[in-house]
Amino acid sequence: MRSLITLSTIAGLVSSGMAGPPDPQELADRIDARIDSRLKDEGVPASAVADDAEFLRRAYLDLTGRIPLPSDVYGFLSDDSADKRGRLIDELLETPRHASHMAAVWRDALAPETASLPEARVFRPGFEAWLRLQFRANTPYDRLARELLTAPLSGDPDEPTPVLRRPNDPNPLAFFAVKEAKPENLAAVTTRVFLGVQIECAQCHDHPFGEWTREQFWNQAAFFAGLDRSGDGLFAPIAERNDVRDIQIAEGKKRAAALFLDEQAPSGNNGSSLRGELAAWVTSKENSYFARTAANRVWGLMFGLGIVDPVDDFHDDNPPSHPELLDDLADALVEADFDLRYLIRAIGRTKAYQRTSAMAAPSQSDTRLLARMPVKGLTGEQLYDSLLTATGVRDSGNRSSSREQFLTRFTLAGKLSEPETSIPQALALMNGRFTANATTLATSPTLTAACDFPGLTIAERVEMLYLSTLSRKPTAKEQDRIEKYVAAAGTGQLNERLADLFWVLINSAEFRLNH
Amino acid sequence: MTPFISRREAFRYGLAGLGLVPALAAYAAHNPARKRSCIVLWMSGGPSQLDTFDPKPGHKNGGPFKAIETAVPGVQIGEYLPEVAKQMKHLAAVRSMATREGDHGRATLHLRTGNLPQGAIRFPVFGSLVAKDKDVPDSDLPGFVSISPRFGAASLSAGFLGPKFAPLVVGGNGTVFDATGDDNTGGLRVENLGLASGVTGERASERRGLLDDLEADFLESRPGIATESHKSAYQRAARLMRESAAKAFDLSEEDAKLRDRYGRNRFGQGCLLARRLVERDVPFVEVTLGGWDTHDNNFAQVKNLCGTLDPAWATLMADLKDRGLLETTTVVWMGEFGRTPGINPRNGRDHYPNAWSVVLGGGGINGGQVIGRTSPDGMSVEERPVSVPDLLGTICHAIGIDPAGQNMSNVNRPIRVVDATTKPIQELLS
Repeated sequence: MRSLITLSTIAGLVSSGMAGPPDPQELADRIDARIDSRLKDEGVPASAVADDAEFLRRAYLDLTGRIPLPSDVYGFLSDDSADKRGRLIDELLETPRHASHMAAVWRDALAPETASLPEARVFRPGFEAWLRLQFRANTPYDRLARELLTAPLSGDPDEPTPVLRRPNDPNPLAFFAVKEAKPENLAAVTTRVFLGVQIECAQCHDHPFGEWTREQFWNQAAFFAGLDRSGDGLFAPIAERNDVRDIQIAEGKKRAAALFLDEQAPSGNNGSSLRGELAAWVTSKENSYFARTAANRVWGLMFGLGIVDPVDDFHDDNPPSHPELLDDLADALVEADFDLRYLIRAIGRTKAYQRTSAMAAPSQSDTRLLARMPVKGLTGEQLYDSLLTATGVRDSGNRSSSREQFLTRFTLAGKLSEPETSIPQALALMNGRFTANATTLATSPTLTAACDFPGLTIAERVEMLYLSTLSRKPTAKEQDRIEKYVAAAGTGQLNERLADLFWVLINSAEFRLNH
Repeated sequence: MTPFISRREAFRYGLAGLGLVPALAAYAAHNPARKRSCIVLWMSGGPSQLDTFDPKPGHKNGGPFKAIETAVPGVQIGEYLPEVAKQMKHLAAVRSMATREGDHGRATLHLRTGNLPQGAIRFPVFGSLVAKDKDVPDSDLPGFVSISPRFGAASLSAGFLGPKFAPLVVGGNGTVFDATGDDNTGGLRVENLGLASGVTGERASERRGLLDDLEADFLESRPGIATESHKSAYQRAARLMRESAAKAFDLSEEDAKLRDRYGRNRFGQGCLLARRLVERDVPFVEVTLGGWDTHDNNFAQVKNLCGTLDPAWATLMADLKDRGLLETTTVVWMGEFGRTPGINPRNGRDHYPNAWSVVLGGGGINGGQVIGRTSPDGMSVEERPVSVPDLLGTICHAIGIDPAGQNMSNVNRPIRVVDATTKPIQELLS
């Protein structure tokens, strides 16, 4: 069985005659209507709105990849204006940290090899730098995809283009290099990340679970068949030959020609770049898969799970949780000319995004209904950057070995909405050097401030540590418990007890998770 | 909730199930009450089969080493494994491994997960699959310990099984082996297991008490995998820090003479640690011995490596036997591939996946035999080719795991413990 991607499902909506993208609040209301009506149908109550501190921490982690500073928390809590949540989302989207965070997220989706393969790590800064430029400029997502897929390559195999010049320079070719410029690898990542289709399982045999045939996989690979790598290894320079229009199917004699997933042939002649044709087809406004996958991916970032989940696995047996909602988002994204920030502005304004993650009723157990905010894990980067923010410890440099070690140990395992903690991770946070330094006066700026700042009450010192780590004020119950803890040690032990509290906060589930 | 198996797939699995009846029957024949463990001696770099378990004396590819008799009449192995030769009754050499990957990274992943990279699926390594299958929720020790591994993260990853089943690494990259160190672990310690300096046991337990109290409300209000996993990891880490569990890693409890017999080096002491762990019911332990990538000067290097391997492995077999553990502990000797029968101009041997050897022994294994045969020049498998799934399926049966068992993967599809193509080596199973 094979199914074709139909190209015209949303074409009618595109030409609805609107002048520009609607107000993000308008889309937010439509989103909430879809989610609320589903909750009503299922008889599941929604949780209450998150308080300001919970919302603030979530927005910072989701949009900038780290927790807010205590001053950010104080500022937000003391702001009385009604539209402050929407404004915060808008402001965070304009920060350089937002671009860096999005670059890290897309780098991980497009080129996970830059973290998992030691020899490919040198490509990481350059690829992230290129993505960062795109996100800083808010390059429309379709253009970003096209510019990546069609990154310029020499047409002369005798003078191929180097894939790595200076590691820190923005470098889209890193993407091709870490895929070893292999058509199979590039076809797989392109269809998976940009179209949500995992066609690569059909590489060796017809897709056992879905709709794709082995030949269709090689039809996709053929779009990259002209890539010509001079030599082996990740660092070999690459050229592109436009006269190569088909590819030999692995371990067979048959050749497959370039065909889009809708079985149409590219229109161009031998002089055109097949990569360019593929990029144009993939990112076409008429290609519903592209917009839906992009919208679903952004949704997944903010809620921890996609409307189709996993976010890059669209197929018949994996239906969306809210089909109409996904259509709404895709349409809105197309109307907004693939402005991802517009989508984030709208999602950030929904009641659904602003709900607390605390459970209100056991019937909320199906996280996909979004009756409450799913609890998300932190990526290694989010945790590391949040630890630096909380402790005031400065990173000794972008590629320092402590950061690398940390990211390797704390690589997010499992789904974003179902993160797991390992024993070595727990041991590292309990007994490791980073925590030891952070909880020792001489090496911990935050702890030093909390202990040494003159004239504060114990409760105020405790509050300072809470704001630095959990981005909220302690409750009366917590203050009470801590007061007893401090008193139990007798006099003269306050600093030691505050260090203990800081250890507790860094090791708490509330710090470790994005709720 | 969406059902994760469609009718079409269920039909497919039904068919697959029918084909598996003999395998499942063999599985059921094992006594389920026996706790079984597996120790893998991982020869990183790819050990030379011609100079160890598939000698070719008299052929120019055989090289300068002699072949020696073993405790099993008619079975010969390389001359630098004399102590292992004495244990041959408990060991079976498979001389017909036939695989395809000749690149260290890909071959290592293939042998360790049973799969080659496939798209977004994060395959767990075999040890994690065993740990998951044999999980004892309240045990102080983890289900998978990897001793002095030299792998990249992917080859130590529990993949879609999640970090709960990731190996606990002892003596990882960057640790220095120090046989004279006063902590008596020889550098084989669990990272961050000890309290940070200046923190007393009393203070640590006060901290943990405060942590439990202060995070109780958060955990209760946010039930789910994220909070449960966090809590469980901290509990397991705390249990591991207990004296009784930490003792498992304290080699100073062992008789000094026995430690000498294993060899006062990282691998020898690692084998001893492996025994201590299976003694405490850890189901899967691996000990890595690196340095087998002998492109240059193969013979001097292999001789040297055998000097470490031979006493450690032979002592491990004898020690397990003495303690009545050998019947329930399957011991596997393997690397990611073998080496070229032809000797290169640098007197070395290069990567060779086409025809190579692994050795299985101990629990569940009919020792004292040789499986498969290579050609006189060692270039090809002439009899009983064994694939990666065949090998892993055989180990599954030896340790009492159903290779057809399934785990839900990160791409929302159930994936078998071992690929459906597996044909376990029946004549090897006791």
